[in-house]
Order: sequence, then structure tokens, then C-alpha cells
Amino acid sequence: MNEIFPNLAVAYGEIFLGIGAMALLMIGVFKKDSVNLVSWLSAIFLVVALFLTVAGTGDVTYTFNNMFVADKFTNFMKILVLVAATLAVIMSREFFRLEGDDRFEFPVLMVLSTLGMMVMVSANDLMTLYMGIELQSLALYVLAAFKRDSERSTEAGLKYFVLGALSSGILLYGCSLVYGFIGSTNFSAISMAVSNMGEGGAPVGAIVGLVFVLAGLAFKVSAVPFHMWTPDVYEGSQTPVTAFFAVAPKVAALALLSRTLYVPFGEMSASWGQVVIFMSVASMILGSFAAIMQSNIKRLMAYSSIGHVGFALLGLIAGNAEGLRGVMIYMAIYLVMNVGMFVCIMCMRRKEEGMVEDIKELSGLGRNHPALALAISIFMFSLAGVPPLAGFFAKWYVIIPIVNAGYFTLATIAVLASVVGAYYYIRIVKIMYFDEPVEEFVAQKSFPMKIIATLSAVLVLAFIVPQISSPVLDGATAAAQGLSQK
Amino acid sequence: MYQTIVFLPLVASLIAGLFGRQIGDRGAQVVTCGALIISAVLSWVAFFQIALAPGDHALNVQVLSWIVSGDFNVNWAFQIDTLTAVMLVVVNTVSCLVHIYSVGYMSHDPHIPRFMSYLSLFTFAMLMLITSNNFVQMFFGWEGVGLASYLLIGFWYKKPSACAAAIKAFVVNRVGDFGFALGIFAIFMTFGSADFSVVFSDVTSYADQSIHFIGMELDLLTTICILLFIGAMGKSAQLGLHTWLPDAMEGPTPVSALIHAATMVTAGVFMVARCSPLFEYAPAALEVVCIIGASTAFFAATVGMSQFDIKRVIAYSTCSQLGYMFFALGVGAYGAAIFHLFTHAFFKALLFLGSGSVIHASSDEQDMRNMGGLRTKIPVTFWMMTIGTLALTGFPFFAGYYSKDMIIEAAYAAHTGVGSYAFGLGVAAALMTSFYSWRLVFMTFFGESRASKEVQDHVHESPQVMLIPLYVLALGAVVAGYVFSGYFIGDHYEDFWAESLFLAGENVMEAAHHVPTWVVASPFIAMVVGFVTAWYFYIKEPSMPGRFVATFRFAHALSFNKWYFDEIYDILFVKSAMKLGYIFWKRGDENIIDRYGPDGVSAAVVRVAEKFKALQTGYLYHYAFAMLIGLSAFVSWFVLGGQ
Amino acid sequence: MEIGIEHYLTVAAMLFTLGVFGIFLNRKNVIIILLSVELILLSVNINLVAFSSYMGDLVGQVFTMLILTVAAAEASIGLAILVVYFRNRGSIAVEDIHLMKG
Repeated sequence: MNEIFPNLAVAYGEIFLGIGAMALLMIGVFKKDSVNLVSWLSAIFLVVALFLTVAGTGDVTYTFNNMFVADKFTNFMKILVLVAATLAVIMSREFFRLEGDDRFEFPVLMVLSTLGMMVMVSANDLMTLYMGIELQSLALYVLAAFKRDSERSTEAGLKYFVLGALSSGILLYGCSLVYGFIGSTNFSAISMAVSNMGEGGAPVGAIVGLVFVLAGLAFKVSAVPFHMWTPDVYEGSQTPVTAFFAVAPKVAALALLSRTLYVPFGEMSASWGQVVIFMSVASMILGSFAAIMQSNIKRLMAYSSIGHVGFALLGLIAGNAEGLRGVMIYMAIYLVMNVGMFVCIMCMRRKEEGMVEDIKELSGLGRNHPALALAISIFMFSLAGVPPLAGFFAKWYVIIPIVNAGYFTLATIAVLASVVGAYYYIRIVKIMYFDEPVEEFVAQKSFPMKIIATLSAVLVLAFIVPQISSPVLDGATAAAQGLSQK
Repeated sequence: MYQTIVFLPLVASLIAGLFGRQIGDRGAQVVTCGALIISAVLSWVAFFQIALAPGDHALNVQVLSWIVSGDFNVNWAFQIDTLTAVMLVVVNTVSCLVHIYSVGYMSHDPHIPRFMSYLSLFTFAMLMLITSNNFVQMFFGWEGVGLASYLLIGFWYKKPSACAAAIKAFVVNRVGDFGFALGIFAIFMTFGSADFSVVFSDVTSYADQSIHFIGMELDLLTTICILLFIGAMGKSAQLGLHTWLPDAMEGPTPVSALIHAATMVTAGVFMVARCSPLFEYAPAALEVVCIIGASTAFFAATVGMSQFDIKRVIAYSTCSQLGYMFFALGVGAYGAAIFHLFTHAFFKALLFLGSGSVIHASSDEQDMRNMGGLRTKIPVTFWMMTIGTLALTGFPFFAGYYSKDMIIEAAYAAHTGVGSYAFGLGVAAALMTSFYSWRLVFMTFFGESRASKEVQDHVHESPQVMLIPLYVLALGAVVAGYVFSGYFIGDHYEDFWAESLFLAGENVMEAAHHVPTWVVASPFIAMVVGFVTAWYFYIKEPSMPGRFVATFRFAHALSFNKWYFDEIYDILFVKSAMKLGYIFWKRGDENIIDRYGPDGVSAAVVRVAEKFKALQTGYLYHYAFAMLIGLSAFVSWFVLGGQ
Repeated sequence: MEIGIEHYLTVAAMLFTLGVFGIFLNRKNVIIILLSVELILLSVNINLVAFSSYMGDLVGQVFTMLILTVAAAEASIGLAILVVYFRNRGSIAVEDIHLMKG
């Protein structure tokens, strides 16, 4: 196992992105007016990384002293992350083109944080885990505060940074305890040690360590009670940043959380199950209720994302391949819905006022911009989980494993929470179609934006078609089996 | 042929109703009138083939299988016998004439296709009712005519009183229909079938059987028959369930003529006659029918004497005449009842259409106090109305003379207690009928005109399209009795009715031909007395009614206020139901269900949402604190509880 | 008195607690929060090095090196954001950071 020279092939995607990010930085610094070039190169690099990732066999392969792993699960999650990141880069490119305030650092930061996410997904050691999280987070802190002259944006960055640093500290303290009480930082080694101890035999220090690690990861997926940063950061950041925040880091963090819970601490599922149940239920309820009173659409999407994380966590509670598969499907569908929705939010722009974010501004959209209103309606109904849209199947595939595992109360709470959640989603549809129209938005001229919105809407609508859904379902099934066997 | 008779009106109705816009007013009128004319002609052909040809020609026409559910089999099928043939003639002839009349009467209405469509739909439902060979199909037709009646009473839906009348008719009929439906259920429970043929052939084996129901022992057939009769009471506006009929006059006049005089309201009579094999084995039920019928005849006649709305007078007259038919049924004179139904259809439709012509002439005025002296202005209408009145009051050799006198004689000839009761009330009602009918004629056509100058100038004779139906009906009112009395109630009785009417015992009509002379003369005398009184009151001494009213204040008030039926019902049912409903609404629904249900939940959701919103203070240290609280809670949980 | 592993762990735990309290009790200055974060990271480092030495395993010390490096980067980014924030708001009092809430 301890090869002198590590097997780089497994990490070609990451290596490529790392080098690419440096190169982009150079181009940005030394070439004048290179924003456009850097942006599109970033998107291209991300796509290339996507291909390099897909090119992997999918067999379980370790490298860098077992600190890095690649298998079907990492492939699946990396595809999601890279797709989300690519779309986010394109969206932000189009956004800044219209909004002005173009700076080349933006796509580079996105690429760097995507690199961090890929490392997170592939982490097989507490050290890799930490490095991935930090690489991702440091870039995200900057992105959140990217609009330097805006009080809101900088406040969002500051809040995110302080709380993120705290969560990193908690995570690290947990890591140190796990290291001390179990004796290793490597996931495979921890897994072996834990299974040797037998159920309930783990020392208290290790358990406390696990809880700390769990808390640190919960912060990244914004599960209650570690969610507090989410609404403020989502609201304060610029919309493309929020769009990026809402999808890619969530997918990566959830992938990392799944691996951490399933691989090293899989034997302790009885212990962490309780915590995950609490986080899941609390997230679903808080996400549903708190969103009702919101007037800012981005803040609403923040609470929505908290609720959705609650649902995704349901899959982990089942503790088996079926549940994990549900989580993966959930994230895939969540990605499409959110990307589409944020493109729509970016269309909320007036001539004089610029971007607007209040939900009331959507009044009468059905008459002013029927296509946009239709797209938003599709996403809203899907987020609410109305069949036969994709969002319904997302919930379906996490609730069924829960029911099969015998958690009936939990399933009931989930369904009730989604009922409450449906209120605020459908309220937006009501506002768009039944309220008095307000001033029109500027027509969306960006071709890529239109493509992304249309494609997302079509995918959401067509998920019920087996030809569309089966690649996702099959991929998730294979990946989930690979991970939960260990 | 029978399919054509029945379904042609439906086709016409659908065409006029669904494609009214495309084919226009004229198209709708042509389609529906054409269909009805064909149906009417074919009905007469059927009448001659089935009823008038010697021998039994009853036949069953299978259309299609309708309901098959376990033991419950119902077919769409027509039972065409003499009874049906008579009804076919009545319904289609009157309907056809009313369709034609409507072309003129409704010419200024903006919704002609809708009106014609409803009329044809009604005709179809009525045909369904009279041709059915089982109770279920009959019920379908029964409800169909109820629906069409509702639609037509409320045809001028912008008039609140029309809507209220439509709802009233519908609701009151529902009471009767409930009884009818229960009766049908009971029949199916007992006989295991709803087919007339099965039920009627098995009826003897169930005679004198009884059932136990909440501690009471009830005669089976009597119970069934009374339930059926409750249905008939609702549809035929018999005492107790009659309140909707006068209000139904809110509908256009042709509707009143067709539905609320000639056809639908006679459905109850038809149904009892159709079920004569059942009723014959339930003598107690027949007595009930007789008493209710006689009481209605008397009651409605008293009310008719004091009303001022021309259509209401005729409506109460209809109610009264239906009472005659029922007590004829009650004493076993089915033939007489149907004969009266037959002749009544002609002269009452004539009276209604004539009054429609009057109303049309005097600019939609319906109050007789604002009429008078119209004889010279609209002579044709006057003569038509006079013919109708003569027929109604039983002037010799007019239609009513044969049928009504026969009923009264049959009631006497029954020689039973209820028969005598019916005879007495029948003669009294005949007197009053004569009085209010002539009162109507005198107030409308004689004396000085009491209408405003403007209205007087507008008075004009109706167009030919409205007069021709009047001529035809007048012809019927004059000759129908003379021509058909031999068949319906006379020498050809057996041959004519064949199997369609059933008698268990003696034919009371045979006896009716041999009653004492004073009995035969009494209705005629009553008619003359009524006529003279009316003449004295309204021609000779016009101040007389006022003095009379002053003297008999109570009697007049009772009559004028329709014996306070509406008021009593209002207190008994409407107000108390409203009060109960209000309690359920305010206390039950709003205070309990809404408060703890939808409203309560949504209020709770909002409260919770506000709490959650308040949690998000915006302060960093609170956020950090929440995280640490969560962290320590988890750690405590694990260390203390979990392990 | 022999100084054993538990003493190191206790010190680290105390430092960690101090750091945590520093974050949410302090309402004055964001710089203090940055210092508290450093304190937390240092407590982690003490833990790791103590375990490393106790178990005779170098991994802990390698981890410490990584943390030190990242902490430096983190501090620089934190300070940068703080500077930007100060430019907009003219204050770095923790109490003032509550533009967005609800």
C-alpha cells in the first residue's frame, strides 16, 4: 500500500483543476481585460475535470497513502459538484456581464473551492477531510464577501467566516479526539478499529470526537442547529454566489458526511443515528416554518435549502444502501431544481433598480413574463414535492427507505413538514398569477441563462420518463452499494 | 317508432342547447318544434294502434341494458300500452303546441335556444317517465322532469323571485322524491325486481303481509303504496306538498301550461294509475289517496277564489283538479282519473296559454285588478278562454263535463266513507271552481278597464303563431270528452284499457252510470250556482266582493293567505332549519372545526413561523451560541443517554 | 508530579473552552473573535501533538503542521474580510453586525 510514488491517475481531475486554477490566476494577473477569457476557461476546465473524473473506472482505488479514494460514489458526487460548479460559473459570468463589476478572481475562486469540494468527496482520511473543507471554505468566505462595497455582502462574508472558523475548530477538535482515542486518522483504519471494539465498545473520547466531527460537517450542510449562517449568507451574497452556495458545497458536504458516517463510523450507526434523526427533523421543521414569513426570495431559498437538507438526511438515517441511494438521488434532483430556480431569480432585474429580491416584485409575473412565471412555477411545485415533478421523486426515494426501516413517525413528520413547506412555495405561484402586476422586469437576454432555465425545467418535468431518470437511479444504486458494503 | 317518439325531443334539445349559438334562434325553434311535431303525430298513430284498435296491443320495446349489479337488473325499455299511449298523446300534443306557442311568446327573449332546449329536454324526461317499464327508469324520468322544471321555473334567473321559486319547487319535490325512492327500495327489497311486470304479477303473494319497523307493525303493501303516493303528492302538488306549484308560476307562461298544468304535475296521477295492481291490494293506501285528493280539491278551490294573480288562480285550479284525479284513483275509478287527466290537459293548457296571451297583450301584467274590459280588445283570446272555462267548469258537452262529472259520480257510487267525503268536497269544489273561473273571466274581460292608459294603448291580439295552438287546444277542450268518453269510461272500457289498468274488485264506474239523478245533477247545479254568484259579484254588483270580504274577514283571510301554509312551513321547517344551520355554522363549523381545524392550524403555523423568525436574531454570538448549545446537547445525549 | 497525557488534554480542553467562550461572550471586537479562533486551533494542535507523542505516531504532528498552515491562511482571509467590512461599516463591533436577520 505504501507505494513510493503515489498513483496519480486516481486524482487526475483534482490535479488538473489545481494546476488549472493557478494558470487562470496567472492569466488573470498578467493579461489585461481577461475576465471573459478566465471565466470561460474556468468553465472549460471544470468540464475537462468532469471528463477526467468520469474516465475513472469506478473501481475502489486508494492513493496518497490511503488518504484519497475514488469509487463509484465519489464519481457520482463529483459529477454533481462539477456540473453545479460549471453552471454556476456560466451563470455568474452572465450575471456580471449584465451587472458590471467584472473581476477575474471570481471564477478562479469558484474553481478553487470546487477543487476543495472534490477533495472532500474523495477524502479517506481526517487530514484530507480537513484540507478539502478548508480549501472549499476559504474560497467561499471570499466569494461571500465578494461585493466589496456592499455592507450586506461583507457582513455575509464576515458572519460566514467567523462561524465557519468556529465550526472548523470544532471539527478539528473532534478529529484530534478521534485520532487520540482510536489511534488513526485514516478512515479505513478507523473503520477496522471501531469494528474490533464492537458495538458500544468505543471509548467516550472517541464518541465525543465523532459528535464534534459531525457538528463540523453539519455546519457545512447547514443542518439545524448549525444552520444559523445560511439565511444571512444567502441573502447577503450576490445571487450567483448564492446559487453556487446552494448547490455545490451542499452536495460535497453531504457526500463527505455520508462517507464519514458510513465508512469509518459505520459500526457506530446506533450512536450517530439519533443525532442525525434530530438534525433531520429539526431541519425539516425549521426549514418549512421559518420560510413562511420570509419576504426575500434568496432568504426563502436559504430556508428551503435547510428543509431540503433535512429531507436528504432522512436517507442517511436508514443506514443502508437504499437510504444512501435516496440521498444521492435527492441531491441530483435538488441540484437541477435549485440551479433552475436561481437562474430565474437572476432574471428579477429592473432597468433603474437593478436586481430585486423581494417576493412581492414577482406580482403579476404570469402576465408580464409568462415563460419565466411558468418556469418558476415548475420549480416551485417541484420543490414543494408535487407529483409528477422531480421533487416528488426526490422525497419519495428518501422516505421509502425510512418506512422500510420502520421509522414511521419520522416519515409522517417528513410528509407533514413538506405540507407546511408547500405553503410558501405555492404562495409564490399565487403571487405570480393572481396578484396585481407590478413593473416589468428587463427581458432576459442571455442565451446561456435561457438554456439552463429551460433545460432544468424540462428535466424537472420529465423526470418521470424512465429514459431520463434511469441513469440517475442506476448510477446512484451502484454507487450506494459500493459505499455501504464496507 | 317508439324510439323516435322518445328520443327525438332529446336530440332536438341537445342540438338547440349545445349548438344554439351556431344555429341561431330561428334554427333552435325549427329544430325543436319540428321534432315535437313529428313526435306528436307519431304519438297519435301509436294511440290509434295501441288503444283504439280492438284487442290487447301492449308491447315491450327493449332499448338497452342499463344497470346490471348482482340481482339488480335494470333495462332501458318502453312499456307501450293504452295508459302509455294516452300519456304519449297528452304529453306530445301539449308539448308540441307549447313549443309552437313559445315561438311567439318568447320572441323578445334573448335566450331562445336555451328555452327551447329546456322545453325539449323536459319533454324527453316526461316521455322517459311514462314509457318506462320499471321503477328505476321511471325514477330517472321523474327526476328528469324535476330538473327540467327547476331549470324552466328559474329560466329568468336574474329575477330573485324566480330563483327562489325554482329552489322551492326543487326542495319540496325532493321531499316527495324521498318517499318515492324509499318506495322503490321497498319494492326491490320485497319483490327482488323493479320491473313492473315482475312486481305486478307477484303482488298477490305479498298481500296482507306485514313488516316490522321500529316497533310498529305495518302492512307491507300499504307501506309501499303510501311511500309511492308521497312521491306522487310532491310531483302533483297535493295538500301538504302543494306549496311549490303556485310559486312555480314565476316561470314563463308556456312552461306553466306544459309542466305545471298538463304534464309533469299529472305524473303522480299516472304513477298511481300505473301502480294500480299494487294499490288495489292496499285498500288503506287508496283511502289515503282519496282523502288527500278530495281535501286538495276543496282546499285549492277555496284559495283560488280569492287570488288576484291570473296565473295563480289557474295554478290553484290545477291543484284542485289534480285533487279530483286523485280521489278518483282513491275510489278505484282509474279510467275516470286518467280521462280527467286527458281532458284537463287540453283545457288547462288552453287556459294557461290563453292567460299567457292576456298577459302578453297587457304588457306582462298578471294582476287581474289591473285588467278588465279586454273582451273587445282581444276577442279571440276571450273566446278561447271562455271555451277553456266552460270545459273546466263542466258545462255540458264540453270536455270537463264528461270527466269531472264521472269522477264525482264514481265517488258517490263507491258507497264508502271516504267516497262520500270525496263526493261532498268534490261538489263543493265544483261550485267554487265555477265561481273562481268565471270570476277570472269577468275580472279580465268584462267591466271597465282598470289598466293604466299606457298599457291600454298597447293591448293587442297575439300573433297567429300563438293563436293556432289555442285553436287546437280549444278543439280538444270542446270535443275530447264527447269523442273519447266511450273509450275511457264508457262501454269500450274493457277493450280500451285492456291490461294497463287493474281492478281487484267491482268496477266502480259501472256503478257510477246508475247513480240517482240528483247526484248526476249536483255538479251541474253547483256549476250554475258558481256562475251566477260570480256574475252577481263581478258584473251585477261589483261592490259585493268588498262587502263580502268585510263580513267574512276570517274566511277571506284564510283563503287569501292560502290557509297560511307557507307561513306555517316557514316557521316549522325553514326558520328552524335555518336556525339549526346557523348553529352548526357558527358554533359547529366556525367555533369548533375552523377554530381548531384549518384556521387554528394556519394561525399556529404563523405563530411558530414568527418564533422561528425571531430566533434568527442576526447577532453572531447568538448564532455561535446556538451551535454550541446544539453541540453540547449532542455530547450530553451521547455520553449520558446514548450509551 | 509526572506530567501525563491527561494534563495536556485538560489544558487543551480549557484552551478550547476559552476560545469558544471568547467567540460568543465577546460583543465588542471582531479581532477578539479571530484570536479566539486561533486559540481553538492551538488547543487542537496541543491535543494532536500530545496524542502523537503519547502513541509514538507521527501522523498527529503532520496534522498539526497542516493546521498551522491553514490557520495562517484562514487568519489572513479573516482579516481581509474584516478590513473590507470596516471600510463599509466604519465599525468592527460584533454588536453592529446584524444587518440581516429574521
